Amino acid sequence: MSPGVELLSSVLEKCPANRVNIQATRVLVNFYCGKLDDSDTVIPALKGLVPLCKLPTFTSSDAIQTIESIIRHVTMKVQVQSTRYMVFRIVDTLLSRYREDLKKMGTSFLRGYINLAEGEKDPRNLLLAFSIARVLLIEFDVWTLIDDFFNITFCYFPITFKPPPNDPYGITTDDLKDALRKALTATPHFGRLALPLFLEKISIGSPTIKRDSLSAISESFPVYGPVIAREFATQLWNSLKLEIFQPTDDITENAALFTTQALIVCIYSDSTDNENIQGLARDICEECGNILKEPEKSRAKPAIKVIAALIRTSPPITHFALEQSLPLLFKLFLDPAEISTRPATLSALSSILESLRELASKADGRNVEEEQPLEPYKDQLLGVLTVGLKSSNTCVTALQGLLQWINIPGALTSEELGFVVHSVNEAAMTKDAEEDVREAALTLLKSVSLKEPHHIEENTLPLLFASLPDRGPERQATEERAYIWKTLGALEKLCAQPSLFETLVVKLSSKVELLCSITPLQEAPDGRAEERECNAAYAHAMLMTLSNVFSQKLDEKHTDLPKYLNRLIPRLYNLFVYFAYNPEPQLCVATHPHLIDAASRIIVLTMRSLNVEDQTAFVKQLFGLYLEGQFGSILEGHFKIATNYPFAPFKDGAPESQRSLSVLFSAPLLALRTEVKLPVESELAFFRSMLLWSVSSQSSDAQSVSIQKALAAVLNRHVEGLSQFLTSDAHAFWAEHIQSSSIDPSLRTRALEGWLWITKALVVRSHPSALQFADLLFTVFDDPIIGWTAARTLGQIAKASDILSKKYFAVVRILHTQKYVQHVLPRALEGCEWKGPDATQQTPYLIAVASLIKSVPRTLYSGQLTKLMPFLLRGLELDDSDLRSSIIDVINEAASEEAPESKLISEYASSLVSIMLKIVGPSNGQPVGVRLAALRCLGVLPSCVRYDVLHPSKSNVIRQLGKVLDDPKRSVRKEAVTARENWYSYHG
Amino acid sequence: MAPALINANPTIFAPTKQSLRRNDLNARALWIDQRDESDEDSEAEEDIDQQEVFDLIRGISDPEHPLSLEQLHVVSAEQIELSRNRVLVEFTPTVPHCGMSTIIGLSIRVRLMRCLPERFKLDMRVKKGSHQSEDAVNKQLNDKERVAAALENPALVDVVEQCLSTASKRDDLNPLDL
Repeated sequence: MSPGVELLSSVLEKCPANRVNIQATRVLVNFYCGKLDDSDTVIPALKGLVPLCKLPTFTSSDAIQTIESIIRHVTMKVQVQSTRYMVFRIVDTLLSRYREDLKKMGTSFLRGYINLAEGEKDPRNLLLAFSIARVLLIEFDVWTLIDDFFNITFCYFPITFKPPPNDPYGITTDDLKDALRKALTATPHFGRLALPLFLEKISIGSPTIKRDSLSAISESFPVYGPVIAREFATQLWNSLKLEIFQPTDDITENAALFTTQALIVCIYSDSTDNENIQGLARDICEECGNILKEPEKSRAKPAIKVIAALIRTSPPITHFALEQSLPLLFKLFLDPAEISTRPATLSALSSILESLRELASKADGRNVEEEQPLEPYKDQLLGVLTVGLKSSNTCVTALQGLLQWINIPGALTSEELGFVVHSVNEAAMTKDAEEDVREAALTLLKSVSLKEPHHIEENTLPLLFASLPDRGPERQATEERAYIWKTLGALEKLCAQPSLFETLVVKLSSKVELLCSITPLQEAPDGRAEERECNAAYAHAMLMTLSNVFSQKLDEKHTDLPKYLNRLIPRLYNLFVYFAYNPEPQLCVATHPHLIDAASRIIVLTMRSLNVEDQTAFVKQLFGLYLEGQFGSILEGHFKIATNYPFAPFKDGAPESQRSLSVLFSAPLLALRTEVKLPVESELAFFRSMLLWSVSSQSSDAQSVSIQKALAAVLNRHVEGLSQFLTSDAHAFWAEHIQSSSIDPSLRTRALEGWLWITKALVVRSHPSALQFADLLFTVFDDPIIGWTAARTLGQIAKASDILSKKYFAVVRILHTQKYVQHVLPRALEGCEWKGPDATQQTPYLIAVASLIKSVPRTLYSGQLTKLMPFLLRGLELDDSDLRSSIIDVINEAASEEAPESKLISEYASSLVSIMLKIVGPSNGQPVGVRLAALRCLGVLPSCVRYDVLHPSKSNVIRQLGKVLDDPKRSVRKEAVTARENWYSYHG
Repeated sequence: MAPALINANPTIFAPTKQSLRRNDLNARALWIDQRDESDEDSEAEEDIDQQEVFDLIRGISDPEHPLSLEQLHVVSAEQIELSRNRVLVEFTPTVPHCGMSTIIGLSIRVRLMRCLPERFKLDMRVKKGSHQSEDAVNKQLNDKERVAAALENPALVDVVEQCLSTASKRDDLNPLDL
């Protein structure tokens, strides 16, 4: 019989719905319901009923007949999961389509369903069962059967199901928990039964169970209603109190606080009496208030958190909570006998302010600005905080409280804000203020500067500028210098806002100009040279401050930067060109190369903010000045330069003071936009002559590099116009200046550096010549003088540099580093393995590999790490300490990842241990950086290598590290302590 | 329910960032962008000082609460005395009848044994007048054999390891966690 029924059901499943008419449906229903009582046919019968009950021709009487048969005949306990699932599906469908009819059946249906669902265990079925239960609880009148429903739902709480690995059904624990929770919170009738169960689970359960219970309770409050909540209020509070004051962990504590909040909201949701709060809120506040009488004890911390939670509930409760806690704290603060607890009191106040600020910042929350809950307490609060500012042990807490307060919108008026700024200045921005006080004060002032900058401008800035002296401090005056740096740091932090920045630029640039033209105090040449150093360092610090703020503003995309092209940049050029003509340049502050460097940074940053027209106009002026000696608007400024002075820094025989200004020529070119054309007749001629200048003895090393970088930038943008250089001139340049051994070695190195930058410019835009140029480097690996430098260069080409990036408007193609590495690395590895008569021939290839690895991100070589490891270990024996520390860093990074690499590390683990121990020994004379890297490597080995691999070395390592504990450098000792600790806790 | 704690509601002090070390290496450099470099490159010797020893022990946890010894003011930098090869650490139990003093003392001793070079001889003592059996505690903590015997007891070692587990993570705490 059953195969026949099976066939019928399968056909029915596939049959389109409009083919089966009413009579057919009727007949089928009768047939199937009859077959349900026979255990042979019950499964296919159910299978048939599933599609059947979805048919539009299925009527209500069919529905009732079906469900009655199922309830009467089907015994769930003897069926397998898939059968039971079918039953649930049928019930679900019937429920959604024939709800009214099922309701008419009354308790017989409900009782029947309870029988079906009782004892169900499979998660797939449970998901469906829970949602059915939810519908029943909400829609049907279940009052009489509430206990039974309680039994079939709450027995599953809390869910401890964990899906097996590779679970094909994809049911997660969270899915089940959510479905169950929805069922549990479906009806208020569950209230009295549910809450005691939840409370029991909270008190005896594991942390996960506690969290589940707490979130279930929070969700249930809106449904169960305030009456029930009030009934259980005290019990709930007692349990919650335990979780808050003796928390198992942070998450549970937060869940408990949230539940408390929900509880209070629920209890008072129907209360109309906003003035006189009775009941739980009052009890809680009184209890916490008592604890707060001793704010320095450990219980005060959770008490404040509870008050903060209450504040977040509803306006009347907020007022009440503040009313209970703030006056108490004020009284405590002002009590002369309790001076020692002031820091703790202020800290409590600060937490309250923080919770109010958080409340205000929530977008969907209440409109705190309108409510102004702090209004009645404003004066007292201001008084308490201001007093707190004045004494050193409460200063930082007071500052933190003020910071929270001013960030609550509408809390303080403008005058009050000004008063706060004034007090903070007096208390915290003094010369002997402690580090953390100053930091907290600066954070506060920065906050104010973003809202109402005029307060800072009127109050704080004059104070800071006044403390900057007119002359640079002497070399030994370290305290004075430290204070100047602190002041400049404060200005840097505060003046990013546009109007404040304007003031900063004006003041600092005037100070620098003043410093450069000041008459020296010393007479003797030695003394004057020293004075020049100190003044130059001071001016340098000021320009660096400006540059840092510029950089910050550029990152935050402020739009007021382009205007400084006409306000600040010409002043800088004017200053430096003027002093280039000074008869004693080595005693002049403005000719100091460091200072010129700092100025060049500002120029680059400004260039980056300009559009194409502004850049073109500026570049025109720039080229006019440097290549043709024309004095234009670029030189407008404070100092009057005589127009008949010749200015030609790139001409042969130009004075050193002019040549050092070449940096100010190359700087703007670094941020050139591609659309900007160079105002020269022949780009090729310009490029050629500049390159030759950079490798001639006319320039110094630093000037040479700066010009080469600029040329790289130009090449990167205008490579089409310079194609002739790439095809013919480049190779001539290579032969003449790099390959030929008759040239001075230092000039050859410079030429290599130039090669480096040219190739970089080409690699970044994946130009075809790039790889050719790189390959040429291999040909000079065996040159005795520049071989190793060439090897390092090969690696450095791959290094990502800021200048040739999108930020500086360079032309960049994606995956350019990958292409480069893919081309160069195999060839370098080949060279390492080459077995020739002379082993030292392999060294440059080794250097090239190590330098390449050091310059590129991990992802590019991680696939080849297994192949590379032996070479890296050999590279550790080379005498280059820079290379050594970078190789160790690579190994450290690989070791700190999981899985695949750690097998790799385990292979080499013991040789790594012995190599590192050799390096860190204090008697081995390795520089600090290498020792630190080696210690880090030793420290990370226990976490990535299985214990049995390194067990034999454990005692030796611990002993050797014991010797490193006496290393002369503190940082090395600290690292050794960490490493040793990791080995101590390394167990099988 | 948790067993009764010896000090259920101790006073908490805020950990501070300030250090006793006054020589500000930073300003030794003349140029503002070189101030952080001067530390690493020079091979100048830096002796172990009070601050360093304090940094080693400040993060040790109290056996009863998730708080550090610094926060409970059990140890402080001023209570450490250092001479060429000797260290004297004085610590203050929070209440006079504190039964955890020996465990706290043992934790400090183990930490310093593992982190200071071998040449240092370590002496520990309880602050005068702060504990009702301070002589007994002092004797226990400074007796080499009793310390070694204690470290053979696995239950004790477990407690000590737990206290020490946070020792290295608390070096630069954010002051005012409250």
